[in-house]
Amino acid sequence: MAVITDSFIPPRDRVARARALHGLLAAALLVACALSLQIGATDVRLTTLLAKLAQGQDLSQMERVVLFDIRLPRLAMGALVGAALAVSGAVMQGLFRNPLADPGIVGVGAGAGLGAILAIVLGGLLPLSLAGLVGPYLVPIAAFLGGWGGTLLLYKVATRHGRTSVATMLLAGIALAALAGALSGVMVYIADDNQLRDLTFWGLGSLAGASWAKVLAAGPLVMLALAASLTLGRGLNGLALGEATAAHIGIDVQRMKSIAILTVAGATGAAVAVAGGIGFIGIVVPHLLRLASGPDHRTLLPNAALLGATLLILADVIARVVIAPAELPIGIVTAVLGAPVFLWILLKRRGMVDL
Amino acid sequence: MSLIAEDIRVFYGRREALRGVSLRAEPGEFTAIVGPNGSGKSTLLGALTASLPYAGRVTLNGREIDGLQPWELSSERAVLPQASRLAFPFTVLEVVRLGVQAGTAGDRPEVPMQALARVGLAHYAERTFQELSGGEAQRVMLARVLAQVWSPIEDGRPRWLLLDEPVSSLDIAHQLQVMEIARDFARAGGGVIAVMHDLNLTAMFADRVAVLAEGQRLAFGTPREVFSDGILSRAYGCDLRVSAPPPVGTPYILPHAATA
Repeated sequence: MAVITDSFIPPRDRVARARALHGLLAAALLVACALSLQIGATDVRLTTLLAKLAQGQDLSQMERVVLFDIRLPRLAMGALVGAALAVSGAVMQGLFRNPLADPGIVGVGAGAGLGAILAIVLGGLLPLSLAGLVGPYLVPIAAFLGGWGGTLLLYKVATRHGRTSVATMLLAGIALAALAGALSGVMVYIADDNQLRDLTFWGLGSLAGASWAKVLAAGPLVMLALAASLTLGRGLNGLALGEATAAHIGIDVQRMKSIAILTVAGATGAAVAVAGGIGFIGIVVPHLLRLASGPDHRTLLPNAALLGATLLILADVIARVVIAPAELPIGIVTAVLGAPVFLWILLKRRGMVDL
Repeated sequence: MSLIAEDIRVFYGRREALRGVSLRAEPGEFTAIVGPNGSGKSTLLGALTASLPYAGRVTLNGREIDGLQPWELSSERAVLPQASRLAFPFTVLEVVRLGVQAGTAGDRPEVPMQALARVGLAHYAERTFQELSGGEAQRVMLARVLAQVWSPIEDGRPRWLLLDEPVSSLDIAHQLQVMEIARDFARAGGGVIAVMHDLNLTAMFADRVAVLAEGQRLAFGTPREVFSDGILSRAYGCDLRVSAPPPVGTPYILPHAATA
């Protein structure tokens, strides 16, 4: 009856590999956390502190401050920002159906940055009651709105009938970034001295200004976005087949896309608000994970959060060590490590029609 | 429990691509839609699958599809598109799994491999989909669609296969294989609607044929009823001759002498 008969071969399961990777990445994250607490400008060491505690000795005032007010918030912020950027990248690549989409490259980061700058400079103009209400959340919320606007605009411009033109996406991203840059320039021009200092620190793209206030400001938004990303796995997998087919296999495509765009905006917005522009995490992390355990978004997204957090914490350690006692902006570290990987992806895909 | 289209109209901008087409497909039958390029075949399939805005009414197993959620539709019918591009390097087996609906007859771990075996590609399960040839990719997509509606009848409700040019990129052996799979699905109680270009394959496998021309239905009936010199020549705008050679008596369509 059938023209060609076939024998049954049990398939090797990439899902099992992705689950094993999950444990491995969680362990790597713990190691990175320990390293980040161990290494710093002062000779306060995690190991000596643990030994002290084991012997029942109290910590000195300085050790307390270094650990709990400097290194720990910095570690928490690094983890939040790294996870947020990596998951944003993975969701955006799934949404645009292209492994080269990245919030930093296509202008979403610029939109979020503009939102943050507007909030820093014009935040004082808000009615006092409203300012009291949003308080420390003003900058993250503004960055989220800027990122959301940027993502929506980009998607509308670059996608026709469910297909995204990469050229249009990149060019639209350049235009968006230029526009955001110009408006940011205007803001710098009208900012007063205090605001200018805030802007400069913020613009360095660094975890150096980490504080518990910032962790609390970005934390809820990042956590919300990460939780939302966990619902997107099947939808983004289906979207890989195209919008029409995704709908035919039972996915509410419009709803899923809205959640994806809000997720990208929330995670990117929060990350940019507290740490400025940090590139390449969003493109390198998902790419490495796809190589290791396949493109299934149900495992890719949680693993991206773990690997993103780990890599950013390690990049921060490097940034603190290489020119100690001074430190590099972390954006420089991620660019030096990430840009070659990005070029490598480009070279590998050069022969493919889709690029 | 049929798939019924009533007075379907579709506009592309100001052009009316479908001008009031009606169609009734029954479970247990293979219904083919034929017609020249631009006659509205794929547009009609698009309306039947709710993939594009249309005026008129489409009823699937007694429910109007306009009010149904994507997951309600997807558990009753699967759609094979003309061509498929995949964004990420999923394996063949992963692609087939994408179609499986939680809580349906196909929601068992062995079903995707069985679906692949059905199209003769079980040994490709671990290959990357993007490495496949066009014809192989098309058959993998058929396996995905089969896994989605694995039982032709479930809880007394027929499942439907809607296929847009399912054999367009296949060699003749695999054209026959795919047509047999679709016909077997219908014989087992499911419904099949396929947009077809090859009139002779259609005559061999279809139970009912709708002939479209210029956005209208020119004829609807069994292959013997609608495959006549007059109807086909009028639909395609060229001189076609139909013969029914014994012993089978299946209509066979040949182009007549080219114009001078």
